[in-house]
Amino acid sequence: MFILRFLLRRLAQGALIIFLVSALIFTLLRVVPGDPVRLMAGGMAPEALIEEIATDMGLRDPIPVQFTRYMSGVVQGDLGQSFVRPANGAAVGGASFDDSTRSARAEVWDLIADTAPKTIQLACLAMVFALMIAIPIGVWGGLHPGGWPDRIALYTSSVFVSLPNFWLGIILALLLSVKLKLLPAIGYGGFAWTILPALVLAIEIAPFIIRSLTVSVAQIMGQNFIEIAGVRGLSRSQIIFRHGAKNAAVPLLNLLGVQFSMLLGGVLVVEFIFDYPGLGLLTINAVMQRDFPLIQGIAIVTAAAFVLINIVVDLLSTLIDPRLEY
Amino acid sequence: MLNRRSFLNYAAMAGAGVALHRVNPDFFLGTAHAAIDRPLVFLSAENITGNWDPTAHTTLSQSNIEGFVMGFLTRAPMRPENPDEVIYELATEINELSATRLEIKLREGVTFHDGKPFTSEDVKATFVYGSGLDRPKQVYPGATDTFEVETPDDYTVIVDTSKGGYGASLFIFLASYLPMLSAKDIAEGPQGILSQRLNGTGPFKFVEQRGNDTVMEAYPDYFKGTPTIPGVTFSFVGDATTRMLSLMNGQADVIERLEPEQLETLEGNDEIKISKLVSVENKYLWFRCSKPPFDNPLLRKAAAHAIDRELIMEVMGTAGHASANFVSPIKFGYVDLDNYPEYDPEECQRLLAEAGYPGGQGLPEIEYITSTGFYPKTKEYGEVIAALMQEQGFPVTLNVMEVAAWNERLYDRPGGGPGHMVDCGWSTGSPEPDLVLRTHFHSTSKRICGIEDPEIDAALDEERNAASLEERQASLQGNLMPMLADKVPALSLFTSVLIHAMRADLDGLFIYPDGLSDASQVTEAS
Repeated sequence: MFILRFLLRRLAQGALIIFLVSALIFTLLRVVPGDPVRLMAGGMAPEALIEEIATDMGLRDPIPVQFTRYMSGVVQGDLGQSFVRPANGAAVGGASFDDSTRSARAEVWDLIADTAPKTIQLACLAMVFALMIAIPIGVWGGLHPGGWPDRIALYTSSVFVSLPNFWLGIILALLLSVKLKLLPAIGYGGFAWTILPALVLAIEIAPFIIRSLTVSVAQIMGQNFIEIAGVRGLSRSQIIFRHGAKNAAVPLLNLLGVQFSMLLGGVLVVEFIFDYPGLGLLTINAVMQRDFPLIQGIAIVTAAAFVLINIVVDLLSTLIDPRLEY
Repeated sequence: MLNRRSFLNYAAMAGAGVALHRVNPDFFLGTAHAAIDRPLVFLSAENITGNWDPTAHTTLSQSNIEGFVMGFLTRAPMRPENPDEVIYELATEINELSATRLEIKLREGVTFHDGKPFTSEDVKATFVYGSGLDRPKQVYPGATDTFEVETPDDYTVIVDTSKGGYGASLFIFLASYLPMLSAKDIAEGPQGILSQRLNGTGPFKFVEQRGNDTVMEAYPDYFKGTPTIPGVTFSFVGDATTRMLSLMNGQADVIERLEPEQLETLEGNDEIKISKLVSVENKYLWFRCSKPPFDNPLLRKAAAHAIDRELIMEVMGTAGHASANFVSPIKFGYVDLDNYPEYDPEECQRLLAEAGYPGGQGLPEIEYITSTGFYPKTKEYGEVIAALMQEQGFPVTLNVMEVAAWNERLYDRPGGGPGHMVDCGWSTGSPEPDLVLRTHFHSTSKRICGIEDPEIDAALDEERNAASLEERQASLQGNLMPMLADKVPALSLFTSVLIHAMRADLDGLFIYPDGLSDASQVTEAS
């Protein structure tokens, strides 16, 4: 019953957040410079044709009217059609004014459904790599607060957080792909293409996990119940893994939720550098092409993902620590 | 005495002697070449348009794809050592019957990728369709009603331009630029099958557009023989560093539009070789001539004299070639113009004063639009131009945009296009100068600068209507080109050097000066 109430409440809050995000993105897109119809119809299109297409598409209606029309489609599961992309998904540029001769336009939902799994795969692998890097360093540092493992954790985090991801991406591609020929780097041809960008993302998020783990483990290990656990006859490893780790997991879980959401933003740069055909690359191209429906669709889907991730994280936290209430 | 043993010895020696002639000594002495068993991966810096009709766009990357798929009547390699060379492909002969009649003999036995035989009806349909004024890539000397096409038989085409009053020889240079379309496809009109896929007679057959990859496969019935590679994958990759890394790690075979710094990096790599070609593309600073302040020719000229093109060449390094005309040096009619505007601050100030803006006083804010990500060094030399003009009193603001946004603002519109100056190149794979000059400076076209000037129109018509190539050359060099240098609707900054990088073991890839390539004979050194 608690879970049902919790889910209903959080989903209702989530729907409101998504609505507000959609309204904001929708309005901003329409007030920034750059006429998408010019891009659709091509640079050489006469002004009269531009206006005709814009009017036909309802792009000259007041923003609230356009938004209402758009949202009525969204609630029926229709995110609309891309302004510029043909159904085959190619990134295209404007050139001709024979707009009607363009191939059939792609459905926004299809474009997102085609690219999102690759981004989810990338984000999950990045999270696995980040945990593989962060857990040993963070826990070790937390178990020796003030000692050299703690300093190693601090220095490692500082170095990792200072590396710009575009620079790191190029360096890792040069080293692991060009020089050592260990991994493919550009595009997507299978799971192996995910490893290098995931590594870059992992190094980007690992410092936050390391610091969080170091602090929370150190705090937990300094508490009374840990100190007396030894008196109860528990071994050091039992104390760390059964009591220390479990209690340190709640802040970590919350952080992971935030980091996972951040990853969806971090993929923008990384996917562009590695030409990885995921949601990030799709977003960059959509922004460059002023492809309003696609940008809006991605924003809604991403906002929904943020909301869902946070609900799951909160739910898991309450399961780990029943004292928590959300 | 010949016994059985010596007979066998002599026979063996004789056999070896005969066999020796059959052994290819290249096996010991030279590099062996093998066919490549996977598609050639070509990475492009520019995206496509989403409309496959070759007459519906002026987008270079899509023209490059057409170079693999489509057939042309002739091809013009336009190498500086032999700029006039013409290679006959779908045409076998082109004869000037008179000043206004041109006979084109066609190759027999050629078929389109959909199986339709290539005949004179296809050439006629292509000419009639492509010259329609509604076609965005209308590059013909006149509209459809200015010439007639006769087809006496399946393999002969006669073009008669007497209605238009211009020389039929203009079609000679065009022949190497126009991809031949199928009459069957054209019959469906611009909204038909033409817009959905490419159908040509070239070495590679269009298969599909898969995301940003254009997939082509070898056409086994290609009239010059089956290509040596199974296909070509032509992919749009927007980032220059990503393209370079792809080549370096072996995922790509050929990349284009290298930045000069990338060239330095790649030149030291034994696994990569570089192709540098003086191209048919000039880079221009286009003035918006249909609105203030550059509707005043004095101000355009003053701006041109404010710009030191030698400084721009320093920025461009190996990616630029100095030229002093509105077309590339490998185009018909090129000459270094005596009156081409040079850097001259004093003359700039004199012209500013004459125009009523001494020292630039009273000039409105001037927006200079350029792009980043496609052409090399545009931002860098854009800053140089803006600084030089500011030095002379022009209140210039440089606006650097990503390619799509720049593309949206590029062309002329009623009342003048966005901004006041725009950076853009123009590349056409033919020696024909009118593909640039008429396209941009005639009032009926004026793609970017928007100029409407009866004197320039008359000069363009005069050179077009010349009775012979010699007369035409004299008209271009003595009348039109100096007039353009005087009125400066645009300033040609330099001629681009097309830089491609490819795997060092790749042989046989022929790159034309407009970026199109012939990959039908590509082999791999092993």
